[in-house]
Amino acid sequence: MTDLGLTPYLCLGAFLFACGLLCIAAKRNAVGVLMGVELVLNAANVNFVACARYVPKFALEGQVFALLVIVLAAGEAAVALAIILNFYNNHATVDVDRADELKG
Amino acid sequence: MVSWLLATPGRLYVVATLLPLAAYFLLLVGGCLRAVCRPYAHSPGFARFLYFFLGGHRPLKSGAYLATGAIALSAALSIVGLVNFLGESDSVSTIEFDHRWAERTTWAQVGPSDAARPAVQLELGYRIDHLTALMFAMVAFVSAWIFVFSLGYMADETEEVHEDHEAHVKRPGRYGRFFLFLSLFCFSMLNLLIADNLFQVFISWELVGVCSFFLIGFYHERDSAAFAANKAFIVNRVGDAGFLIGLALVWTYFGTFNFADIFAELATRGPPMPEHLFVIMGIGIFLGCVGKSAQFPLHTWLPDAMEGPTPVSALIHAATMVAAGVYLVGRAYPLFAPEVRLLIAYTGAITLFLAATIALVQTDIKRVLAYSTVSQLGFMMLGLGVGGWVAGLLHLLTHAFFKALLFLGSGSVIYGCHHEQELPKMGGLRHRMPVTAYTMLIGVLAISGTPFFSGWYSKDMILSNALGFALHDTEHMALCILPLVTAGMTAFYMFRLWYLAFAGEPRSHAAEEAHESPWVMTLPLVVLAIFSVCVAWGWPLWDPHASYLGHLLEKARPGPAHGLAPDDTTHSAGWLALLAAAAGFGLATLMYGVRKFDPAVVKAKAGAAYAFLREKWHFDELYDALFVRPAVALGYGTARFDKRAAPPDEAEIADQSVNVSSLDGVLNALGLGTAILGRKLREAQSGLIRRYVTVLMLVAVALFALLVVVYA
Repeated sequence: MTDLGLTPYLCLGAFLFACGLLCIAAKRNAVGVLMGVELVLNAANVNFVACARYVPKFALEGQVFALLVIVLAAGEAAVALAIILNFYNNHATVDVDRADELKG
Repeated sequence: MVSWLLATPGRLYVVATLLPLAAYFLLLVGGCLRAVCRPYAHSPGFARFLYFFLGGHRPLKSGAYLATGAIALSAALSIVGLVNFLGESDSVSTIEFDHRWAERTTWAQVGPSDAARPAVQLELGYRIDHLTALMFAMVAFVSAWIFVFSLGYMADETEEVHEDHEAHVKRPGRYGRFFLFLSLFCFSMLNLLIADNLFQVFISWELVGVCSFFLIGFYHERDSAAFAANKAFIVNRVGDAGFLIGLALVWTYFGTFNFADIFAELATRGPPMPEHLFVIMGIGIFLGCVGKSAQFPLHTWLPDAMEGPTPVSALIHAATMVAAGVYLVGRAYPLFAPEVRLLIAYTGAITLFLAATIALVQTDIKRVLAYSTVSQLGFMMLGLGVGGWVAGLLHLLTHAFFKALLFLGSGSVIYGCHHEQELPKMGGLRHRMPVTAYTMLIGVLAISGTPFFSGWYSKDMILSNALGFALHDTEHMALCILPLVTAGMTAFYMFRLWYLAFAGEPRSHAAEEAHESPWVMTLPLVVLAIFSVCVAWGWPLWDPHASYLGHLLEKARPGPAHGLAPDDTTHSAGWLALLAAAAGFGLATLMYGVRKFDPAVVKAKAGAAYAFLREKWHFDELYDALFVRPAVALGYGTARFDKRAAPPDEAEIADQSVNVSSLDGVLNALGLGTAILGRKLREAQSGLIRRYVTVLMLVAVALFALLVVVYA
C-alpha cells in the first residue's frame, strides 16, 4: 500500500472543518449546529492523528491531544445538549435564530 | 466709650454712619425671621410667638420707628460732630488735627509687603474736613426729616394694598421694606461722604445706585416703575464705566486711592502721568458724576425716577444721591485738568438750560421738580467748572434743603389729593392745605433766587463766578448767558407750579376733596422751610459773599484755586439774575396767577416748540433709536442664532434630520450624530449566533488572507 503522506490527511481535515463550519453557520436546528461542532472537532482530530503519524516530533502529543479532544467533545455534547433541552423547555423550539435575546 | 470718642472725635462720624446700617440689618433679620416663621403662624409654639412679635400678617410699624430713630440719632451725632469740629478746626494744629479727625486701616492686602516693593493694598478710612462735616450734617439732617415724613406718607403700606395703577393686584404692604432700603441708602450715602479714598467712594457709589434701583422700582408691579428702575440703573452704569477708567488710571499712576496722598503728590510733583492721560482720568471720573448727578447727556433717568414713592424722590433725587456726583467733583477737584473743568462748566451750562426749558411745559408736579433738580445740578456743575468751588458746593447744600422741602411738599399735595399728580387737575389748594402751600412757597422763593432766601446766596455766587469767567475769556460768554436766562425760567416754572397747584379754584374733584396732611408730614415741611430760608445767612445779610456757610466751605477748598473767581462782578451778576428771576416771576403771575393772558393761547401759538419741549427734546427717542433698539435687535439676533428650531425628539432622531442653522442646531446635530452611530453599532450585536459564527469565519479567512499577502 502506497503511503499517501501528510497532505491528503490535512486536506481531509480542512474539508471536514469547512463542512462543520458551514453546518454551524447554516443550520437553524440546534442539534444540527451541535453536529457541525462535532465535525469541526473531528476535523481537528484527523489533523492531530495524521501529524502523530507523519511528524516524528508529534508522535506522542498528537495521540494524547486526539484523546483529549474526544473527551472534550463528549463533555461539550453533554453541556450543549443540556442547554438545548432547557431552551426547548422554555421556548418549545430548538431554532437557534429564536435564541436572540442577548442582543444589544 | 466716651474716652474712646474723645480721643478721636472723628469716630463719632463712623458711629453715625454705621447706625443706619445697623437699622438695615435689624430690619433685614426681622423680616427674614418673619418670613421663616410664617408657615408656623397657626401652630402653637415659639415660632408663632415670634411671627406675631415681628408683626404677623401686617408689616410692623416699630421697624420704621427703629430706622427713623437710627437716622435721627445719626443726625444728632453729626451735629454734635459738626459743632466739635468747627470748635477745633481753628485752634488745633494740622498734624494733631489729622490724627483726631482722620483714620485709616488696611482692608485687603495682596502679596507680601517689604520695604522695596510695598504690597498692593486697599484701605478703608475716613477723613473729616469742612466739606465732609457740612455735607454729612446736611444729609443726615435732611434724611432724618424725610424719614419722619415717610412715616406718614407710607402709612398706606401697613395694610394690604390694591395696586390698580396699571396692574390690578393685591399685595401685602411694604412698610418695612421701604425703611429697610431707605436705611441702607442712608448708610451708603454717609459712607460716601466720610470716605477718604476713591475706592471706598466707589463702593458707596454703587451701593447708592443699587438702593436707588430698589426704591425707584418700589412699586414694581407697575411696568413704568420697573422700566424707570432699569433705566436709572443702566444709565448710571454708562457713567460708572467712565468712573472705572478714571479709577484705573489713578491706581496705575498714583498707586493709591487715598485723596490726601493723591493731592499731596499732585501738589509736590504734579501729575505723574502724560498730560493726555491726566485729562482722560479727569473726564472718566467726571463721567461717573455725570451719570450720578443726571447731567447732559445722561440726564434722562432722573425724571423717570419719579416713579418711586415721593419721599424717595425727595431723599435720593433731590437731596442726596444726585448730590453725590457734585460732591465727588468737589472732592476730587485737583484731579481735574483745566480742560476737564471747562468740560464740566459746559456740561453744567447745557444741562441747566435744557432741563429748565423742559420743566417749563411739564404738567406732572413731580416731573417739574425733577427737571428743576436736573437744572439746579447743572448750576452746581457750572459753578464748579468755572472755578467757583465754594459756590457750587454751597448751592449743593442750600439746594438740598429747599429741594427736599419742595419734594416733600409735592408729596403732601399728592397725599392730600389722593395720588393726583397732574397740575391741571389741582388748584385752590392753599385754602385746603395751608401749611403745605406756604412752606412750598418758601421753597419756590428759595429756588428762584429771591434775596435773603438761601438759594439766592449760592446762585448769586455761581453767577458771579460764571460772569467773571466769561468776562475774562469772552469766547465762553455762553457760560454766563445760559444760567442768566435759566434763572428767569426757573422762577417762571416754579411759580407756575405754585400757582397751578395752590392758587385759583379747584379744577377737579380730587382737589376739592383735598385735606391737609397729618402733623408727621407737615412738621418736616416747616423745619425744612426754616432751613431753606436761613441756612446760608451771614452778616451782612445783603451780601451773598458774606454767607457763613460759604466761609466754612472756603476752608475746605482744595489746594490753590486755579479757577478765576473775581469778586468785582458780584453785584452786576446778582442784579442781572434778580432781573431775570423777576421777569420769570412776572410772566408766571400774568399767565397763571392773575390769568391776564391764557396759557392755552401761548401753547397754540408755539405749537411746534411746545411739542418739542413736551417731548423732552426727544432725548428718549434719540437714545431709543441709537442705543436701545440696536441693543435689543442684537439681542434678538443672538437669541435667534442660539435658539433651536424645534426640540429633537425620537422621531427626529429616527428621521436623522438635522437642523444646523443655529448654535443649538449644531449642538443637537452633534448629539444626534452620536445617537445615530450608536444605534447602528448596536445592530452588530444581533444575538444571532449563526451570524456571529459567520463573521468569525470571514474575519479568520480575511486574516489568513492578509497573512498570505504580507508574507508571500
